[in-house]
Amino acid sequence: MEATRREIEVMANLLNSNDTQAEINRAHFRKSHCLAINMIGSPGAGKTSLLERSLPLLIRSLGVGVIEGDIFTSKDADRIAIHQIPVIQINTGGGCHLDSKMVSKVLSDFDWDAINLMIIENVGNLVCPADFDLGEAFKVIVLSIVEGDDKPSKYPVIFRNAKAVVLNKMDLEKLTDVNMETMKQDILAINPHIRIFEVSCRNGNGINEWISWLSQEVIEYREQEG
Amino acid sequence: MHEMSLMGGVFEVIEQTVSQHKVKRVLQVKLKVGVLTNAEPDALQMAFEAYGKDTICEGAELLVERIDVLGRCQNCHYEFNVTGMFFLCPKCQDINIKVIQGEELLLESLEVE
Repeated sequence: MEATRREIEVMANLLNSNDTQAEINRAHFRKSHCLAINMIGSPGAGKTSLLERSLPLLIRSLGVGVIEGDIFTSKDADRIAIHQIPVIQINTGGGCHLDSKMVSKVLSDFDWDAINLMIIENVGNLVCPADFDLGEAFKVIVLSIVEGDDKPSKYPVIFRNAKAVVLNKMDLEKLTDVNMETMKQDILAINPHIRIFEVSCRNGNGINEWISWLSQEVIEYREQEG
Repeated sequence: MHEMSLMGGVFEVIEQTVSQHKVKRVLQVKLKVGVLTNAEPDALQMAFEAYGKDTICEGAELLVERIDVLGRCQNCHYEFNVTGMFFLCPKCQDINIKVIQGEELLLESLEVE
């Protein structure tokens, strides 16, 4: 007898297993009274440089931990460890983004009583990390202005889903053709609620404003989550 | 190339589904992919072929339906297609737009024998 063709309705979310684990991670952060942020940006945008600038200021009043995502090396984690901050490296071994399972595996390596801000630096990439929830409270984008003012409109998904964007390398503004107004207008057209910070990790300009905002976010998170 | 990881999710669902039904072969797999995800149909196709090799899905057809972005104005409740990623209500110019469609990453159905 000839086999019969038939259709099976499925309607399953492909990110289901990632999203389920992300909720478990989120509950862990909440229970630890820890604000977790997912930091996303292209290679060379200055994610690690922003951490190097920010950490000495943040640790004056906060317990900070860092998870470093990288394809192969521990170069970024080594840069963070110099600041005497608990840092764990995740190597994705070729993978272009972190996922919630990778993050969950390293959570037990931290002393959660001592941490109220966890910064997860994702793999350098503006595309793939946008689809994978890690359990963070919100996403922060690091974009260097030398990447061009067309980048927000070319990578809208990540800008739509982030709470803040740090525009780095402002010290190079005059050396490039970047139009800052276009860049900021495009970002706000995609996401009118996003906070924009203009900084230079090289000379430290603008860092204080970003730090006060982030510190305030930690305070508000801890108040909300009890 | 996170389409490989997404395809891992597709095959997890396929395995679960076929284990509950009497299936000899999967002939067609239908996905719904919102424009507000970063999944590329071509890359999905490539990942599907790579994952499907030597499985019940080998030789099956992958259909990817792209889902446009639909927004609802939180002020006047007007629903509209969001084009060019500009989230602005064409009626009242409000910027508080809720995305009600376009973020899907779904395995819709399987055709099997």
